[in-house]
Amino acid sequence: MKTKLKQIYYDMRHQPVIAWVTFLATAMSVFLIMVVVMMQRAKTVPFAPESCRENLVIGANLHIENIDDAGNNSSSALSYSAAKMLYDGLDGIDCMTFYTMRPEESEVYAPGGDDFITAQSRRADAGFFEVFDHPLVEGRYFTAEEANALMPLAVINESTARKILGNAPWAGREIIVDNSVYTVTGVIRDNSSLATLGHAEIVIPTGPGDTFGQWTDYLGSMAVAMVKKPGVDMEHLRNQVKARYSKLDAQLAAEGKRTIYHEAPYEQSTLADAAFFGSNTTPDASHSRRMRWVIYGILLIVPAINLSSMLHSRMRRRVNEIGVRRAFGCTRRRIITDIITENFIVTLAGGIVGVTLGIIFAATYSGLYEGIEYYNQGDTPAVSAFLNFATIATSLIICFVLNILSASVPAWQAARMNPVEALNSK
Amino acid sequence: MSIIKLQEITKVYQTRDIETTALENVNVSVERGEFVSIMGPSGCGKSTLLNIIGLLDRPTSGTVELLDRTFEKAGDTDLSHFRNANIGFVFQSFHLIPSLNVAANVELPLIYRSGMSASQRRRRVEEVMERLNMTHRLTHMPSQLSGGQCQRVAIARAIVGSPSIILADEPTGNLDSKMGSEVMSLLHTLNKEDGTTIVMVTHNEAQARETDRIVRFFDGRVIS
Repeated sequence: MKTKLKQIYYDMRHQPVIAWVTFLATAMSVFLIMVVVMMQRAKTVPFAPESCRENLVIGANLHIENIDDAGNNSSSALSYSAAKMLYDGLDGIDCMTFYTMRPEESEVYAPGGDDFITAQSRRADAGFFEVFDHPLVEGRYFTAEEANALMPLAVINESTARKILGNAPWAGREIIVDNSVYTVTGVIRDNSSLATLGHAEIVIPTGPGDTFGQWTDYLGSMAVAMVKKPGVDMEHLRNQVKARYSKLDAQLAAEGKRTIYHEAPYEQSTLADAAFFGSNTTPDASHSRRMRWVIYGILLIVPAINLSSMLHSRMRRRVNEIGVRRAFGCTRRRIITDIITENFIVTLAGGIVGVTLGIIFAATYSGLYEGIEYYNQGDTPAVSAFLNFATIATSLIICFVLNILSASVPAWQAARMNPVEALNSK
Repeated sequence: MSIIKLQEITKVYQTRDIETTALENVNVSVERGEFVSIMGPSGCGKSTLLNIIGLLDRPTSGTVELLDRTFEKAGDTDLSHFRNANIGFVFQSFHLIPSLNVAANVELPLIYRSGMSASQRRRRVEEVMERLNMTHRLTHMPSQLSGGQCQRVAIARAIVGSPSIILADEPTGNLDSKMGSEVMSLLHTLNKEDGTTIVMVTHNEAQARETDRIVRFFDGRVIS
């Protein structure tokens, strides 16, 4: 090992441009891959308010067509009653919430105030605070009874409370959301908009009589977020939902309509990866996953080719040395392993720099939390949510793969070199 | 008893259009403990012969027998292990590895030998360097040494693994006469004291005459 480190130091002194370009190219490629990995992880690793991501299941959308005219169809999110009919009381579910999956952009005022802000509001039943992790800063959540009674209450996040109402205490005070007056029952901690399913700035109660966003008996703007019990198979849930679709079809038949089933409910990871999630399509994560692997491949192969040619240049200056080593008994296999090991040390050093840059980037660059309108530190997931041992281990594995990809061809060529020609090279 | 036995060795280099015969039906035997010089004009096949004896190159036809072993069917790993255990090389241009210091250069053959710990290797390197009065140069880099010192380090590297055979390709070719004499005297000492068999390619008639026997080459053939 000492000899290999000496060799690397010698290379850095005698071929500084090639050595430094190799080092920095490795650092940059590992950094880039790490950013991509972190952005991907941010979509699926559990963090508040979606601490339940591993078991989070979404029931969303309904697609209905005319039996006699298949081209005549309509689709959207669910009405509250359709959501209840399809998903309420499924076996294997720990807790669930009926809520508007896509938040509304609402105008929020303080009574008597002139200035308004826009905030992301959702309608949800009391189960929302069971499914999603929204710690209270002050007050309380609204209850199931209050939600069922559609009482004009609201749970808001801390930033909104501060902007609209000034300093605490906030609970019990009134706010105006889209021209309706609500009483704040509780204030929750700011939460990341990266948690697209559970993020909320204002939560207003919804219940059986709520016709908000509903335009037919079945179609509306509701969805269901469920936490399945650990170990429960998705097929078990789908089979139950399919049976309920059949019941719904029986009802719809009277209207000459039927449902088109799109494999609901969906795991959070499927929705996170789906390239397009429309109400009349089955979410398909496989295309995005394939594309992700293609991107990883390109991010690996392009620098690997570059590093390979760099290593090739470095090896050209060491042809004579390879001849000497072969003469004194070094086997071809040993030549290969020595070159790969030496290259790995450089790649690893570059990788560590890349990982360090990635950590600095994750901790300081707000662009990683894209889509947050009022960015502040409290509004982001903890860096540790996606920058953890798994991310760093992935980056180091990438270093290893990059090393193998870039070093194997030059190492193999060096090992196949004729020792006499190597010794005679100038 | 022959330690090196070459029988009907022919070496032909084939390019797309031209066929060049470097060695033709060469028969050479070297006894254990013998110091043999190989002489001849440039391009007559001396170095090719040395490479074939050193198992760095394979003959087109003929048999190489070293220490009662033949190598027609030996694989690359097998040849590498044999070279490591039994053959030491001294080159005209020293071929020290510039990134390694003297001690690491000398240690090189031992690194490829299994069963030797780092401390055993270090002791053996010190032992050899002491014998060559070069202990004070152990931590120097090759670029800090004179030509004569480089060749002494190269000889140390050649003998550190206690090989039975040393192959020296014009070992004094890049040295002035004083340094050349010193190196020759060192090779004679190794030959006499250790009984190491030495085959040396040289253009220097005087140095060749000091050896036990001269094999003369011309156009790929042994002429005397």
